[in-house]
Amino acid sequence: MDFAFTKEQLMFKKEVIRFAKKEIVPRVQEHDLNKEFDFESFRKLGEFGILGLHFPEELGGGGADVITTVLAGEALGEAGVDGGLTLALGAHTFLCADTLFRHATDAQRKKYIPKLASGEWIGCMGLTEPDAGSDVASMKTTAEKKGDKYVLNGSKIFITNGPIADVAVIYAKTSPELKHAGISAFIVEKGTPGFSSGPNIIKMGVRTSQTSELFLNNCEVPAENLLGKEGDGFNMSMQTVEWDRSALLAPFVGASTYMLKRCAEYAKGREQFGRSIGQFQAIKHKLANIRIFGEAARSLVYRIAWCKDQGRPLNHLEAAVAKLFVGDWSMAPANDAVVLHGGYGYCHEYDMERIFRDSRLAPIGGGTSDIQKMIISKLM
Amino acid sequence: MNYDFTEKEFTFFVQLHELMQAFTSANDPEKEDTAAIGQTTRGALAKLAETPYLSLGITPQKDLGLLSLMGAMEVLAALSPSLFLSVEMSTRVFGRSIQTWGNADQKAKWLTPLLAGKLVGAVALSEDALNVENEPLKTTGVKNGDSVVINGNKQYVVNGPIADWLAVAGMLDGKPALFLVEKNTKGLVLENRMATLGYEGTAMAGLRLADCTIPASQVLIPAQGQASLGLLRMWENQVILGASLGLMKAALEAAKNYAKTHKSGGRPVIAYQEVGFKLSEMLTLVQTSQLFAYRAAWIASDNPKEAESMTLCAKVFCTESAEQVASNALQILAGAGFMSGNVAERAYRCAKYGQIAGTSTEIARVKIGDESLGARLS
Ligand SMILES: Cc1cc2nc3c(=O)[nH]c(=O)nc-3n(C[C@H](O)[C@H](O)[C@H](O)COP(=O)(O)OP(=O)(O)OC[C@H]3O[C@@H](n4cnc5c(N)ncnc54)[C@H](O)[C@@H]3O)c2cc1C
Ligand SMILES: Cc1cc2nc3c(=O)[nH]c(=O)nc-3n(C[C@H](O)[C@H](O)[C@H](O)COP(=O)(O)OP(=O)(O)OC[C@H]3O[C@@H](n4cnc5c(N)ncnc54)[C@H](O)[C@@H]3O)c2cc1C
Repeated sequence: MDFAFTKEQLMFKKEVIRFAKKEIVPRVQEHDLNKEFDFESFRKLGEFGILGLHFPEELGGGGADVITTVLAGEALGEAGVDGGLTLALGAHTFLCADTLFRHATDAQRKKYIPKLASGEWIGCMGLTEPDAGSDVASMKTTAEKKGDKYVLNGSKIFITNGPIADVAVIYAKTSPELKHAGISAFIVEKGTPGFSSGPNIIKMGVRTSQTSELFLNNCEVPAENLLGKEGDGFNMSMQTVEWDRSALLAPFVGASTYMLKRCAEYAKGREQFGRSIGQFQAIKHKLANIRIFGEAARSLVYRIAWCKDQGRPLNHLEAAVAKLFVGDWSMAPANDAVVLHGGYGYCHEYDMERIFRDSRLAPIGGGTSDIQKMIISKLM
Repeated sequence: MNYDFTEKEFTFFVQLHELMQAFTSANDPEKEDTAAIGQTTRGALAKLAETPYLSLGITPQKDLGLLSLMGAMEVLAALSPSLFLSVEMSTRVFGRSIQTWGNADQKAKWLTPLLAGKLVGAVALSEDALNVENEPLKTTGVKNGDSVVINGNKQYVVNGPIADWLAVAGMLDGKPALFLVEKNTKGLVLENRMATLGYEGTAMAGLRLADCTIPASQVLIPAQGQASLGLLRMWENQVILGASLGLMKAALEAAKNYAKTHKSGGRPVIAYQEVGFKLSEMLTLVQTSQLFAYRAAWIASDNPKEAESMTLCAKVFCTESAEQVASNALQILAGAGFMSGNVAERAYRCAKYGQIAGTSTEIARVKIGDESLGARLS
């Protein structure tokens, strides 16, 4: 057993941090305030190669291993990139592009992956519905085969990148009478008649990501837009869980390092009662808690990534443990970081309040903490 | 990067478990009688000497990597926390002191029999109400020809009443030293054995040294000076990490098995979310603690600069998790858990020790905070 990253991996992480601090972070606060997607940053992520890091080079990707891909996510968080942009990246690269990469035909891959890897196109994934969240199998969206077409009807909600996406992976029932086995996945492009999105939903955090409803109203797609076979959809959505539990959690680990650095700087500079507040044990206690969370979470996330690099099937128990830990245990350190900054921590000028709001998504998105507990207690 | 133990390491853990399970079922190591504790500890050391266990972390072992020690500690601590603590304070804390600071003669005298399972050691570090983290040691040795005369008081010495040899930390010529004092040496007075909340099968006592005279050849002078005390603490902290993993593992196992077999309203109680979700949180803490402790142990051997703070981070997390997991295990076992002598109740009582002994949770947090603020630790 050993926990060493390779030199190349660590150098790459440093490069990403340098890049993000220079090219992305300066615009983060303003976009968060305006609840706007930062198209420029997204394009720059594409140019730098982060959007397609793990795809093969011939498809415009970077050919990186999973650990490196996860390190990039951690690096963005560590640099101070907001949770909105890293979520948008996650939905784009892992929930959408990776599903296409794994299950689309060669022609479709060649069509979509290079565009998604470069950031020329934005992708999204629609699984959740207004009445089907945790209980995915109860989804009502249908896809009916008519000749060489499928006709999709229904609606999706909380879809990251929904309002700005050029292509979507949409889950719908081809056999509505079945539960999980009735779900299939489809490629739906923006502009397809009958396909539309709602306005950006105003959220507590991750505000630079754009979230919306998607509407499918007699939306016809060619039969070849079915990914894999009918009934494969649920398993496809489960495959993205591997990324969800590694690459999508990594920014939270990185953010804890960022918080720790910012809090330490603040504690050294801020004086009360004639000395820097860093001299008070209560402040050191909070710094310690932030550090301990980050160190605890880190190995859980990289364990999932390492296993994936080894080509092992996902260990659902370990994946749920990682998600539950990051979800439920990240709240307290984010809270500590706000309180350590006193009144300034509550104000937008300092980004602790944003990180606090952003991290609130961790126990909800991609399967709530309750659902993780359900999985763990079943697998025990 | 590699998150797996090797097959050989696994085989070793399984063999260790079988060997020591047989031993602990034949000799209850949680009994409170001091003579029995001495006997059981010696018996266990003899058994363990048949395996590479005692040498782990002290001399390199073929086929067993750096982290085998933490894995093996977890196995033994899960079987008996008391026996584990007695064995570890002797082997890893006393033993590593000799290994690190002893000369060839001293190693032959103490380390060889220790690794053969024939010697019980103790380390006496803490002094009355003072925690070595904050105050200089008051125990002092004064040279007198070829001898050293020691005076001072020590508290809470694990194995004090059963040890053959005690390594007493004190000052000599203004520098930290370890004085090796044999039991029954004139001037060494053991206080009455302490009654404790947990680890009742471990013998602990305070001791007094009143003009206790030893030959100069029984003094170890750590090259690291003041930092050596930090190193001693770190070894103790690593033992406590191993203990925490074992306590949690045993408590979780007991609660899980009970929840799967005990029925209420016609269903096994694990089927109720109030129980099943508690178990999920416990398992999450256990797995997180395991990886944390392993990673801290790995860093301790790979990167000395980060060793202390990572060990402290892991210690705070794992010892607090141990209390929580033990508490929830007891809750799930309910009435059966409240009865004396079951695994969860025992783990619950023992768990508190981990947060107090070694570097206390409070001092650890202060140190971790100091480091974040740019301070260098010891
Ligand atoms: C910002 C954001 C971005 C998102 N992005 C996407 C996206 O890109 N694509 C996508 O498809 N979805 C997305 N989601 C949806 C997300 O995955 C769901 O919100 C999540 O799975 C929970 O579903 P729900 O909101 O319907 O809650 P519900 O399932 O209605 O749950 C409500 C509450 O009940 C609890 N609960 C439910 N079932 C049980 C049970 N059996 N036992 C115990 N407790 C239970 C839940 O834990 C929760 O506390 C996003 C959500 C957010 C907030
Ligand atoms: C069962 C048991 C076995 C032990 N075994 C051994 C052994 O084998 N060898 C050995 O040498 N020692 C041993 N110890 C001693 C142990 O290491 C000490 O108890 C521990 O270091 C705490 O010291 P103390 O009890 O004197 O508490 P104190 O140092 O007096 O602390 C009292 C309280 O104040 C807090 N505190 C103290 N100073 C600070 C500060 N500066 N900032 C913030 N909070 C502070 C502490 O965390 C604690 O909560 C053992 C202890 C126990 C209980």
